[in-house]
Amino acid sequence: MTDASDGTLFAQVRDSANRADPYPLYARLRVRPVARQDDGTFVASGYAAIRALLHDPRVSSEDLPPAEHPPTGNPVKDWIVNPLKDWVTDRHRPFIFRDPPDHGLLRRQVMGQFTIARVQGMKRRTEGLVAQCLERCAGSRHFDLVDDLAYPLPVTVICELLGVPREDEPRFHAWATQLATALEPESRHDEALRARNTETFDAIADYMRDLIREKRRAPRDDMLSGLATAKDPQAGRMSDPDLIATAILLLIAGHETTVNLITNGMLTLLRRPRELARLRADPERAPRVIEELLRYEPPVHFRTRVARAPIPVAGTVIPEGAPLVLLFAAGNRDPARFPDPDRFDPDRADNQHFGFGGALHYCVGAPLARIEAEAALTALAARLSNPRLAEDPPPYRPGASLRGPKRLLLHIDGIG
Amino acid sequence: MRVVVDLNRCQAYAQCCYAAPERFVLQGDEILVYDPAPPASDRAAIDRAVQACPVRAIRVEHDALAERAA
Repeated sequence: MTDASDGTLFAQVRDSANRADPYPLYARLRVRPVARQDDGTFVASGYAAIRALLHDPRVSSEDLPPAEHPPTGNPVKDWIVNPLKDWVTDRHRPFIFRDPPDHGLLRRQVMGQFTIARVQGMKRRTEGLVAQCLERCAGSRHFDLVDDLAYPLPVTVICELLGVPREDEPRFHAWATQLATALEPESRHDEALRARNTETFDAIADYMRDLIREKRRAPRDDMLSGLATAKDPQAGRMSDPDLIATAILLLIAGHETTVNLITNGMLTLLRRPRELARLRADPERAPRVIEELLRYEPPVHFRTRVARAPIPVAGTVIPEGAPLVLLFAAGNRDPARFPDPDRFDPDRADNQHFGFGGALHYCVGAPLARIEAEAALTALAARLSNPRLAEDPPPYRPGASLRGPKRLLLHIDGIG
Repeated sequence: MRVVVDLNRCQAYAQCCYAAPERFVLQGDEILVYDPAPPASDRAAIDRAVQACPVRAIRVEHDALAERAA
């Protein structure tokens, strides 16, 4: 069997044994920029192919299978309650899983609340939160970047932006952790995981329903109040189920991804002490460092889609109905697009990476992610004295798409 | 400092508007209005905008002579 026709390459990508370094597999996949896998999935790993598919209207984001309920024997449940539930979840999927025109209407309403003033306002706040995390570890010789900073920071930021009362925040930390698994394709086949996710969704939906009612009663200057009360000229007021789906999406998407950006970022810099020293000496390098991190070690390695029509691309034809994987992290290392792609080089020119996806679904939270990563990485570079990796590679969380270390233990001489 | 945006490339991702809101504004959904001659004190914010642009449509030209005079 020639290498490129190995239809198990993507299965190997998903195998946790390859989590620490999937890049050699990506290189093998790229031999065929769009490769059919044994299970019928098509994996796009070449830069040009991913770009073309991202912009192709025949490629749909509505690829979630309908929810399935085993028969309970109770006709009311089987014939009314559960189908109704499916209908609601179908109609009110978060906009990351929706196509035009619904997608655009929902996204526009979110963007309308994701205002420049609100995001800019979080900049100083984020810097303060980073400082607080570091202060808590002052005097320590060990530092777990995940637990001590990268994990708590984004949940607090998104909760404050949404307008979740501070005392409820600990619940969000627990929910965010559970829900992140829902974005992995594996979760669709793992019954126990699906059940736990459904439970969490129900808990968070109940919480959100109450919070939204409260925001309508007494609106404040936060995103949820804005979404709950604003009226779009075309779409009108966002329905409660859409609002709940949106809030949950913002929570998940704003969390795990940012954790990974910060953690993968620091891991990459610690493996290259010269780059860390340059950032410490010149914090204005941060925007370049972060864009290169988004290319080199992106927080989201792939997203799934489905072909709504036969799509000829890169010398093959993706048949109608075929599941499709856009392997962004492989496109980001495509030598046909990026010279010397496996080199981490913040001074790289023309760095048009897929770190935030692209086209209609380009990450809504990108400006916030950049602010959080910049605050965290510049503070870590400036204040950690003589940081060293305690283990390399670190252990990873299970996700192949939202890929990042479970912990990142550092030895330090102190925190300045 | 002279800022040039290639408006044929610009796809209104609005990342520059978040990075340097005083110099880049989106009118409606897709018309970018920007300051072609921002003050030197905005250098860091403009650089953030340049780096954040998903299609690399923003270019900065430094006028060495003028900057030396200033």
